[in-house]
Amino acid sequence: MKAEISENRKHFKACCNIFEKNGQVYLELEMPGVSKENLEMKIENDILYIHGKKTVNTDKGRFLLKEVREGDFYHEFTLDNTIDRNKIEATLSKGVATIVMGIKESEKPRKIEINSK
Amino acid sequence: MALIKWKNKDLYDPWDDFRNLQNEINDLFNTDRSQGYTGLFDRNFSPAIDVIESENDYSVVCELPGIEKKDIDLTLASNVLTIKGSKKDDSEEKKGKYFKKETWTGSFQRTLPLPAAVNADMISADLKDGVLTVRLPKKEEAKPRSIDVKIK
Repeated sequence: MKAEISENRKHFKACCNIFEKNGQVYLELEMPGVSKENLEMKIENDILYIHGKKTVNTDKGRFLLKEVREGDFYHEFTLDNTIDRNKIEATLSKGVATIVMGIKESEKPRKIEINSK
Repeated sequence: MALIKWKNKDLYDPWDDFRNLQNEINDLFNTDRSQGYTGLFDRNFSPAIDVIESENDYSVVCELPGIEKKDIDLTLASNVLTIKGSKKDDSEEKKGKYFKKETWTGSFQRTLPLPAAVNADMISADLKDGVLTVRLPKKEEAKPRSIDVKIK
């Protein structure tokens, strides 16, 4: 997927939080300026690709202060076998994308009963 | 009378060279630093801001992902725009094990002095996708006007 992204725009990694709660893995990515149409997520060969295009501000004028980095967000995450591919959901709100991935049932910690003879 | 905060850019200011050097060093370490931290020396969070001046107005663009409208406080006092607010995080106990935490939480404040007089009644602000855009139209007398020169 990296080859499909145009070389004109720089891309960098978004700030991300990764945590695990209730048997699910949550991935939060801060992508300000990215709306739902410009966000693309794809899983291919155990790699999760995330590409978000920022809406470019086309105001003309003189910059008095320029701190906002220009460029799109691009991230690659490797998913291992503990993630259930069918249980992935993503939401986008206020510029923050939250991806919830379910862990496979077989990988969750299980109690093992001891049979005494 | 408002204090004039912007210096004449053509005058030579000896501190400019030092400031440029510090900015360059900050930029060196800035390339893959996460947004929000401006350089090595600043430890407080400060959101990234762009200020664009066109003929008729100023646009101020501020990146504030994950923040609700009610948590932002935007005020204007004699040509100084202040953006402040706080970013809440759900209490740490609710969340499970963290593997990585790069986002920031807490309060922030940015103040921006604007060079020309601004028409306070016609200011508008939008918050969309985590980006706050404030438009401040300039007052009539502050807009650039061409003056006809009559030759006698």
